[in-house]
Parts: sequence; C-alpha cells; structure tokens
Amino acid sequence: MKVKNVVICAAGLGSRLGLDTPKCLVKLGKHRLIYYLLETLKAVENIRIVVGFKEEEVIEYVKSIREDVVFVRNPDYSTTTNSYSLHLGSHDLIEPFVTIDGDMIIDQKNFQIFVDAIDVNEDLIAITEAKTEDAVFVHVDEDKYITEFSREPISKFEWSGVAYFANFKINKDGQYVYQEIEPHLPMKSVMIDCWEIDTPSDLDLVMNEVSHIF
Amino acid sequence: MKTAFCFDLDGTVTKQEILPLISKEVELHEEINLLTQLTLDGLIPFQNSFTLRVKLLSTIAISTVAKVVDKVILDPHIIDFIHANRDNCYIVTGNLDVWVKELIETRIKCDYFSSEAEYEGDQLIGVKKVLDKGKAVKELRTKYDRIVAIGDSMNDCTMFQKADIGIAFGGVHNPVNSLVKLSNFVTFDSQSLVGILQNYK
Repeated sequence: MKVKNVVICAAGLGSRLGLDTPKCLVKLGKHRLIYYLLETLKAVENIRIVVGFKEEEVIEYVKSIREDVVFVRNPDYSTTTNSYSLHLGSHDLIEPFVTIDGDMIIDQKNFQIFVDAIDVNEDLIAITEAKTEDAVFVHVDEDKYITEFSREPISKFEWSGVAYFANFKINKDGQYVYQEIEPHLPMKSVMIDCWEIDTPSDLDLVMNEVSHIF
Repeated sequence: MKTAFCFDLDGTVTKQEILPLISKEVELHEEINLLTQLTLDGLIPFQNSFTLRVKLLSTIAISTVAKVVDKVILDPHIIDFIHANRDNCYIVTGNLDVWVKELIETRIKCDYFSSEAEYEGDQLIGVKKVLDKGKAVKELRTKYDRIVAIGDSMNDCTMFQKADIGIAFGGVHNPVNSLVKLSNFVTFDSQSLVGILQNYK
C-alpha cells in the first residue's frame, strides 16, 4: 500500500448538520458514517482519528470496528478549526500522510483512484465535482495542477477534503486546510467521486445518490 | 531534542495486573481483585488502596512474590521498543521495589522509579514510600528536553500532568477517564503505541 498513514479529522461539533452527535457517528443505512470510511481504509497500516466533540462515543464506536486506531485528542475542538485538528493529528508524523475529513463518504474504488495517482514524493489533492453547499472551488490548469482555490468565482470542481501531503506540515494557527495548501500551489490534483456531509441537504444528497454504499 | 519515555508497569508494559497475580498465592484473590478494580476505576485513592493491598499480601515471602512477578506476561512490542531505546526509557511504577526489581532488571532492562518497601530479610513489613509519579517526571526534567508518559490508571495522572506528551494506553483495560482527559493520544494496541513513540525518538 502506497499510503501508510491516514489522518481523519472528526473533532468538530458538526453544527451545520444540526444533530447532537458527531458527524462521523451519523447513521447511514446499517452503520455509522465512520464505519464506511474505515472499510474503505482497511488496507492502510496506520489510522489516526482526531477526536473532540463526544470523544468517548467516537472512541468506543471506532474501537469496536478497528482496535489499532490511534486517537489524537483535540480538547479545544469547540474553539479551534479543522486545520488545527489536522495539525494535532499530523505534526509529529515523520512520514507522508493522507488526510480525510471524518464526515466523508468515499468508496474503495474512488480511494484507489486517488492512491494510484500518488507519486510518493509529491503532494496530491483530490478534487470532486462541485456539489456541497459551502464549496471551496478549485481552478485547475491543463496539466491538472490546481492553481487557485476560491469561494468565488465558482468552478465545476471543489476541494474534496482528501489530500496526500509529503512536503509540508499544517500550521498550528491555520484557519482552513485549503488555506494551508495555498502557499504551495500549483499542486497536482486527481478527480474522484466523494461526498461530504456538512448540512442536512448534503445528507439527503448522499442518501439519494450513493445509497448503494450503505 | 532529547526525549525520555516513562512507562507505567502494571497493565501497560505487563499484559496482566501484577497484584491480582500475586494474590493467587494467598486466598485473597477476589478481595485483591476488587480493590484493584476500585482503584483502577478511581473510586478509592491509589495510596490507600496500595498500602492496604500490600498489607494483605505481606504474609507472602518477598522471594515468593518476586518469583510470581517474574512470570508475568510482558507486551512484546513495548519490550522491543524499550530494549532498543534502553537509555531513554524508564519504568515509573507505584508497585514495590522489592517485588518488581528483579523483573525490571532482568527482563525489561531499563532504569526505574517505584514505591519503596519496608522489610526485614525476606519478610515484608509495609510501605515506606508510595511513589508520586509526577515527582519522577520532575526529576527526569533535568536530563531531558521532552518527556513522553504512557499509562492507564488514576495514579498515572500526576505523571501526565508533568509530562509533555501523554499517551493513554488501553492494553489490558480501558484507560481511566481522568487520564484520557489529560492525554494527547489514546490507543488500545501496543503496535500503534510503539508507532507513536517512534515519532518522538
């Protein structure tokens, strides 16, 4: 497996979804969201999950699926960003790592497309067809290199939240992960299908479009 | 950066709790188990519980205890890490020096901090000093830039408070909640634990 380390950020409140439960524990079909993500990542040796909101519940559930996960605690989850969680989850790693948001639906086939596109020494960003409500759009040149992120103007593709970092570390004080990537642009990208659940309408979209996964 | 690794012994480096194992020698297994469980759950303070448990086990000759302790199952992955990094690894245990000295010196093979026994020959009298694990970390400060602590129980809390990085390790039982709240990492698998330690070497 080209990917040895994966850091999943699952510390946040998920307030936009409006459920009193961490997004990674939202029930989709038979299981909870993170179950499907861990299925996709079965072959990865080291899985780290950054936990915060209701950490005991997340730890208990994940442990029942996979025993060897390393949980990284972000006790300041309610006042810090996802970027800070990713910093906590990855700053001590010596090797390159893949980052995935804990509210992400990605099947094995699409994760494999991403892994196949990795050149171990080069950073890689997964982009996806723009569909979420609060999309961060990406602008890509003819060689598939990302040249810019933007909230506006819009584009056909958005930053997926999945990336492979081999050459830089995420700062402690960053606001959004894409802003941490910005100084390192242009950066290679690969197109995959994946879904992120931020809002109730994202949840509806997933239940309609990819119910086969559940 | 020079890093020290401080390991709790019972249920962290050992895959069994040691006192219940010793208690099999006398017919107080259930009683010691109960006290151990209450201590692990943080319902009674370690100091009192430990002194009481030692009292209950004090009829057993020290050499008999040492023999039992010597057979305790150790975690192979943690032991490999300690052996490879012997000079910077420390066992920080509330357990009694006379009971665990042999085990640490012959099988774990690193330096250690422990509680101290009062004894006469092969006869245990009581506890002279219960180790404050925070003080052990404080002592190591003079020699190290960074201290990583690994443990699972209430008496590891002071060690975590004084350390730079705390790893709550649920190898034998779930780490107590108070310790989890003081930790940076939580894991239940010793290979994953060693994976974290490698990053801090």
